[in-house]
Amino acid sequence: MKAARTGLIVSALAMGLTSTSALSAELRFTIWTGNEAHLAMLNGFAESFKATHPDVTVKFETIPPADYTQKLTFQLAGGNPPDAGWMMEDAAPTFANAGVLEDLAPTLNSAEGYDFADFSEPALGLWTSGDTVYGVPFSTSPFVIFYNKDMFDKAGLEDPLALAAKGEWDMAKFQEVAKTLTEANGKWGFEFKDGQGYDSRIMHALMPPIRAYGGDVWANGECGFDKPEAVAAVQQLHDMVFKDKSIVPPGETGDYFSGGSAMTINQISRASLMPKAGFNWGIAPLPTGPGGESPVIGQAAIVVFTAGQQKELAAEFVAHMTNKENVATMAQFFPPARNSVLSSDAFITSNKLIPAEQMKIVADAIAKGKVLPSHEKSPQILAAMKPKIDALWRADANVEESLKAVCAAIQPLL
Amino acid sequence: MAANPAIRTAARDERAPRLTLKMREAMEAWLFISPTLAGFLIFFLGPLIAVVWYSLTEWNLLTQQATFVGLANYQDALLENPDFWHVVRNSVIFAIGLVPLNMALALSLALALSRRFPGVVFFRTVFFAPVVTSAVAWAIVWKFLLQGEAGFVNQMLDYVGIDGPNWLREPNWAMAAVIVTRVIKMVGLNMILYIAALQAIPRDYQEAARLEGASNWQIFRTIIWPLLGPTTLVIMVITTIGSFKVFDHIYLMTGGGPENGTLVLAFYIYQQGFQFFNVGYASALAMIMFVIVMVLTIVQLALRRRDT
Repeated sequence: MKAARTGLIVSALAMGLTSTSALSAELRFTIWTGNEAHLAMLNGFAESFKATHPDVTVKFETIPPADYTQKLTFQLAGGNPPDAGWMMEDAAPTFANAGVLEDLAPTLNSAEGYDFADFSEPALGLWTSGDTVYGVPFSTSPFVIFYNKDMFDKAGLEDPLALAAKGEWDMAKFQEVAKTLTEANGKWGFEFKDGQGYDSRIMHALMPPIRAYGGDVWANGECGFDKPEAVAAVQQLHDMVFKDKSIVPPGETGDYFSGGSAMTINQISRASLMPKAGFNWGIAPLPTGPGGESPVIGQAAIVVFTAGQQKELAAEFVAHMTNKENVATMAQFFPPARNSVLSSDAFITSNKLIPAEQMKIVADAIAKGKVLPSHEKSPQILAAMKPKIDALWRADANVEESLKAVCAAIQPLL
Repeated sequence: MAANPAIRTAARDERAPRLTLKMREAMEAWLFISPTLAGFLIFFLGPLIAVVWYSLTEWNLLTQQATFVGLANYQDALLENPDFWHVVRNSVIFAIGLVPLNMALALSLALALSRRFPGVVFFRTVFFAPVVTSAVAWAIVWKFLLQGEAGFVNQMLDYVGIDGPNWLREPNWAMAAVIVTRVIKMVGLNMILYIAALQAIPRDYQEAARLEGASNWQIFRTIIWPLLGPTTLVIMVITTIGSFKVFDHIYLMTGGGPENGTLVLAFYIYQQGFQFFNVGYASALAMIMFVIVMVLTIVQLALRRRDT
């Protein structure tokens, strides 16, 4: 009897001590990656969270990226929301405006040693509105050129990194090099990101050159595809695909990572594929153009869902996961948005696969880059754009007319 | 626990209400079908009625806000949305291309493979195998085979001096390509139905006709084809319905492109509901599709009845 009473008192005390966290709670966190190294790192954060929340376990649930937003929506609509999750830039405005994302500001501002002001302001653009914080940048990853050094050597060309160092790596040089590479190697000179430039990654294919030429796809509710800068940029790509035949054309494959193309555009998280590729490689900045340097950034953040049962706890985990120490740990895979980490030597040397000299390019691009375009009606805009872009990628297409058609299709949605 | 069967029976008879045999049988029948019935009501009829209701609302899946809008969704789809008629047109083209091709091929294969000869089982298996193949694997493999210049199909065509098109990148060819690959995938099912029907036709009829000097064509036209009538009707109805419902194949091979050339009704419903989150609008489109398929089925049944 006495023992029982003591037990009761002890548990009551324990409850009092841990009153800020729920007892033996489980947080469900949805993420796109199933990569073992990524998950091991994330589980490490879940483990260290136990220091302050001993009874809380965090379960990471992988949803493949192609269906991610859709399946997440089903979970939210079906009354089975995850507590927190990863979210890509193109979904941000839709979800924020729908009111399904929890404001993280109160938790982040009260978390000890968090220093929210450390986050680079441009990197927060999509995720904040006034004082409200809908998400914390998880990966702020610039697009870079991945090149196959062996193919450059075989063609007797200087590689993009060397050209960039001399200030000669521009759009004209890019076209010239791609053509020479194709002729010298019998492989494609360039492949759009993940070979999806005509399908799911239309924006990723068109954005870098359009920005290099000083244009934009849209801005302030106005379509930019039919502006002279964008037309010139897309005309160059079109020529490369159909005249030079140096870019993998629609309906063909030429995977860079298995040696099918000499160059591609991607993000450094893909460097994890390179050890298996079996050729010498490097990364370089995107070619500059008439618009100067214009790095493009792909971004994802972590968010907490309003519909979740354990919002406060989830927000506390987000604060833990994105504190200075953990952001520095993540930087090896996912480039950070914290200025303190970006400027540190630790970041430059964090990636075992990419030499420090090349990681500087990444840091530089994050500082100068602009996030990919996003819009509340992204899904509708992309769907309206798709058939017009299909028409653009015909050999006999008139680029300017096709881009005018793109604008006519999407302007009502902007 | 002394068991006296006579007493027990008497006691039960007093307590139980008097049921006629018919009533008892009916009750047992209901009991037996109740699990299926419950499943049908919960997972089929319930959602079906719910879709009717959803179709009268403007409901955003993400915000979970639904407002009653009456027939506005139908009005928009049928009268105002130019995409809708383009999509219906694509679905009709798909069905017109697929149904006759599938049926003709299924019947030809069945006629060839309904007789017994060495290796017949092997050939039946070969033609039936695609039916049980994963739709995903099927579509992805064909997507590779149908690549522009590097694709297997075009390389084969190249050997015989034909410059093949970029199959999945030109709207008309893309439609033809999805129809043909779908037919090859599904034809085995109809072939089996036809083989079963052919084997059910008594041999005597054909033998008698042959004795009378009838040619193969005459036997087919006057004996086999009419006797296949009910099977042909079933096949036509299910193939038509299937062709209007096609989704996975389109999703995986073309994503509705190029230039919306293969954007069929089922895919458009998916796009509205699960990409744009307009559940109300998608439900209205689903109801329209339901009506189209139902009307087509009734017409086919009516035509058949008139024939017989």
